[in-house]
Amino acid sequence: MIDVTGLPMPAGAPAPGTCVRVEQPEPGLVRIVLDPPHRKLPVLDLPLLRDLDVAIEKVERDATAKGLVITGRDARTFAAGADIDAIAALTDPALVERVVAIGQNLFQRIAALSTTREGFVSVAAIGGAAPGGAFELGLACSFIVACDVKETRIGLPETQLGILPGWGGSTRLPRRVGVPLALEVILTGRLFNAREARRKGLVDRTCFPEDLLRVASNIAMKREHLERSSRGMSEWLVDKNPLATAIIASKAREQVLARTRGAYPAPLAAIDIVSHAPRRSIENSLLAEREAVSALAVGPVCKNLIRIFGMSEAAKKLKLLPDGTAAVSPTHVGVLGAGVMGRAIASLSAERGAWTRLFDIAPAALDVALLEHRADVDKSKKRRKIERSEADAAIDHLDVARELSGFAQCGIVVEAVAERLDVKHKVFGDIARQVHDGAILATNTSSLSVDAIAAGLPHPERCAGLHFFNPVKRMPLVEIVRGKQTDARTIATCAAFALALGKTPVVVADQAGFVVNRLLGPYLDEALRLFAGGVDPAKIDHALREFGMPMGPLELLDEVGFDIAQHAAKSLHAAYGERMSPTTVLDALIAQKRLGKKSGQGFYVHTDDKKKQKPRLASDLARFVPADAPRVGPLEEKAIAERTVLAMVAEAARALEDKAVGSARELDLATVFGMGFPPFRGGLLVWADTLGAATIVARLEALAREPDVAARPGGKARFDPPASLRDMARDGGTFHAG
Amino acid sequence: MKRTPSRPVVILSGWRTPLARSGGLYARDDAGHMGAAISRETIARAGVDPEEIDEVIVGCVGPPHDQANVGRVIGLRADVPVRVPGRTVARNCASGMEAITSAAEAIEAGRGDLYLVAGVEVMSRFPLIVGDEMTRVFARLNSARSPMQKLAVISSFRPRMLAPRIALMEGLTDPISGLIMGKTAELLAREWSISRDDADRYALESHRRAKIARDSGLLKREVVPYLPLGAKEGAHALEGDDAIRDNQTLEQLGKLKPYFEKPDGRVTVGNSCGITDGACALLVASEDKARALGITPLARIRAWAYAGLDPARMGLGPVYATSKVLDEGGATLDDIGSIEINEAFAAQVLACVKAFDSDTFAREQLGRSSKIGAIDMARLNKNGGAIAVGHPVGCTGARLALTAAHELAKSDRPFALATLCIGGGQGGAMLLERAS
Repeated sequence: MIDVTGLPMPAGAPAPGTCVRVEQPEPGLVRIVLDPPHRKLPVLDLPLLRDLDVAIEKVERDATAKGLVITGRDARTFAAGADIDAIAALTDPALVERVVAIGQNLFQRIAALSTTREGFVSVAAIGGAAPGGAFELGLACSFIVACDVKETRIGLPETQLGILPGWGGSTRLPRRVGVPLALEVILTGRLFNAREARRKGLVDRTCFPEDLLRVASNIAMKREHLERSSRGMSEWLVDKNPLATAIIASKAREQVLARTRGAYPAPLAAIDIVSHAPRRSIENSLLAEREAVSALAVGPVCKNLIRIFGMSEAAKKLKLLPDGTAAVSPTHVGVLGAGVMGRAIASLSAERGAWTRLFDIAPAALDVALLEHRADVDKSKKRRKIERSEADAAIDHLDVARELSGFAQCGIVVEAVAERLDVKHKVFGDIARQVHDGAILATNTSSLSVDAIAAGLPHPERCAGLHFFNPVKRMPLVEIVRGKQTDARTIATCAAFALALGKTPVVVADQAGFVVNRLLGPYLDEALRLFAGGVDPAKIDHALREFGMPMGPLELLDEVGFDIAQHAAKSLHAAYGERMSPTTVLDALIAQKRLGKKSGQGFYVHTDDKKKQKPRLASDLARFVPADAPRVGPLEEKAIAERTVLAMVAEAARALEDKAVGSARELDLATVFGMGFPPFRGGLLVWADTLGAATIVARLEALAREPDVAARPGGKARFDPPASLRDMARDGGTFHAG
Repeated sequence: MKRTPSRPVVILSGWRTPLARSGGLYARDDAGHMGAAISRETIARAGVDPEEIDEVIVGCVGPPHDQANVGRVIGLRADVPVRVPGRTVARNCASGMEAITSAAEAIEAGRGDLYLVAGVEVMSRFPLIVGDEMTRVFARLNSARSPMQKLAVISSFRPRMLAPRIALMEGLTDPISGLIMGKTAELLAREWSISRDDADRYALESHRRAKIARDSGLLKREVVPYLPLGAKEGAHALEGDDAIRDNQTLEQLGKLKPYFEKPDGRVTVGNSCGITDGACALLVASEDKARALGITPLARIRAWAYAGLDPARMGLGPVYATSKVLDEGGATLDDIGSIEINEAFAAQVLACVKAFDSDTFAREQLGRSSKIGAIDMARLNKNGGAIAVGHPVGCTGARLALTAAHELAKSDRPFALATLCIGGGQGGAMLLERAS
């Protein structure tokens, strides 16, 4: 019996014995079905483990049992792994260790059934999602059979949440598939479909869902003989060879460090355990897993990553309508404007299976759009991410139009035409006459007001902002802008559309810059002011990369394009006044048509993409440092990062005061997914909370007094702590409750 | 005799891709993709909900081997609901027209009200075929059991067996008369005394008219620019038919050697239709349906007819079919404002023109008391024809109907005619009238 006293039980936990069914379909065969009544998607939570433990005990006592099948309630449902909420709630390493030990011991006993009993075969019959703990349960069985259906996703994503596979995954996977592949699976956290999993040896056989139970029973009862493919010599040459595993581990460590700058402890711990696993006893390796997870799970990185995971899961609820049903993403999508944004939105929409019609008056732009789309699809096909028929379908789903006609079927039309109100009014006016009554008109504007665009439309309540980020296919955030009249169905449908495109939506108010650009404004401007004040540009970028940003602010400006950045800065200034006063340092660069990556040169020199050369810092930047800008004193890298990020925190507090976004959680989600704010820090305001409001206020006040800040227009206003922050400092409050 | 349709049938709308020289810009495209793309465009521009479509009918002579029923493939790839069936029809060069008339027959019979119809041909993708001998070697190798048997089969292999058969050439040869199409045109040229010079002058005029139609922007009414699959980075959509030779001269045409009958033949590659790729889609509906959808049709289909004749003289097919369609439609040649006769060969069109105007031919071959009438050359193929833009076999019938429908609007007479000769000895004709 598992002792659950003192451990967190999920809300509405059912009575003992109800989460698992034990069946005997034929003499000698036991079938354990994971079927917890309290979960739509079963989770290996304590109630389930408790009942599984009782079921296994039954098998252990049953001397006539010769085979065991563990399966889900149907061929497309297994279990979603460990209980993330429970892990998030634990702060005591000893409690974590107990939870880990419960799973480890249970899985060890399942493994022991086949290793200690002569001729006993256990089979995990998996279909649907089986990540993390669910896959580890399978690894404890003799064989794993997976349903070849598109819902099946198998892998060990724990490191993505700041922990590592602790229920034997880090121990058994390297023994099953070898150290190099196990490291790939565990460090990337990728989930594989059934066929990929079979190819890689993560599972032993695939079958149709209708055959799952029959095949699993046949294997368990030895009517079908399965042979685990042996690693042969490479087991001895690689996995059991200390020198080889040491080299592999050090290479992996190098790669992880290059990517994470050491901010994430979990992958490093995983490398250590996985590379040693084949040469350790199972017990010792499990002990190492346990110790690592107990330390990691209570650490801030794990908490922050789980928190972000929770926020992105919560974002999926945005597609719920007031009556609780989910809005459906439109099957027909119109996109107006085939610029960089429009064509990428259209291509993504077509890839995701919506019939998409892209309009532009410039034929050449449409040609580029089609060719780029086809090239993207071809790339996916070549990488075997999609089959030929899927590639054909993706290509078929994008059509182009030189005239603003043929959009009658569209359930949503996204405009990404020139940022001019009259142009937007014109195209939306034309479109509104064509589409059916329920159709949504969404604008990808970044500098105009959604209300202004909606004005004059026959159905302003069906108009919203849908603000994508560049590059569309890579940036995971979409800001859904709620205009004054936007109704709930429109918001939910926009969210469903964004989710269908694989994006994470966040709802924001119709205020200049929405959230992400509003925060980026002072951040980028501060970086430019430091440059203008004589700080080494390499140092500025390095400081923020060290802070954890995916790229430095000057690199980001190169990506965005100086003209675009300047335009955004000016519209923020117009909306928010002096605290957004933009520096003029970009003027000289723009005057020379030096606009960043797209012109080949900005702060960095960008060579041809195909040569894979890293951009290097331009050598002539000194001549763009204005002579009249206030000099900045010598700054540590830490001070550089703090100044730029604190400028964002102050603006974030103001954005919350203005109700630009509903909550600190959503604002954090926007910073992580929209600007790449380091996930291990949990988001801008989690980071602010770790500093504390009092400290922040003090530092902001100090920054406002800095001579170079005080000397420039709007400098003081920018760093002047907003009222809500001062209140927070006074009351000892935080942005996030608890 | 005059035939009154039980339910009037209309062409709601239609669009086509530019036609491109085979082996050229569309060489890497395929019938399913191209047909679906133009079908989607046609549906979208008409503003019709695909849910309303009753069936998909596609004319295609050589569907890709992996899209045997390319009509079904096109339906599914054109966003037509899964429950809506699709078929492929073939009547050689008239397959595109066959698709339209199949839909019209179904509508008349009350089986449906709205049909997505297309004609499509990617002649570039006609395959090379492994010869019969080689096929037999493969078959025997497959059934051979022992290594000795296999060796015996392999030893029967000869390198000459590798010589491929060209599906396109074999497809253009009539199996009954054994004549390749060009030779049937040569026969007509001799029998109807069409000189080489007549043929070349006719060809030159076809290019001239096609160029004007393309450059004046007239064809924007029916052609949608198309960026084919396989287009390279930096490529642009093809705007208009690319086989038209802009600077063609009579001298150049005169220098070409006869292609089919050397040395005395009159048919050259210059005065024959080119081989091109292309697709054309139309929405065909009952008149009631058009009204219900609130769409003004391009034209009403007044009558259509197919007629058989000697395969060796298949080029005269339009005369036989037109004779029939005029009777059934209750019309005379004089009522027709514009005539599209497919230009398989200049000599063949000119032979048709003479036959139209021959009392003897009318009496002996058509069972008419007198000739159909003299064709006003200004009203024949006003925008050029297949000699200039080419003849993607499955597509042409649909293209002719679409062009004829648009010409109706410009003419002061009530009818337009689209007719073509059909390899194997047939003619097809469709009489269109202005929709009310």
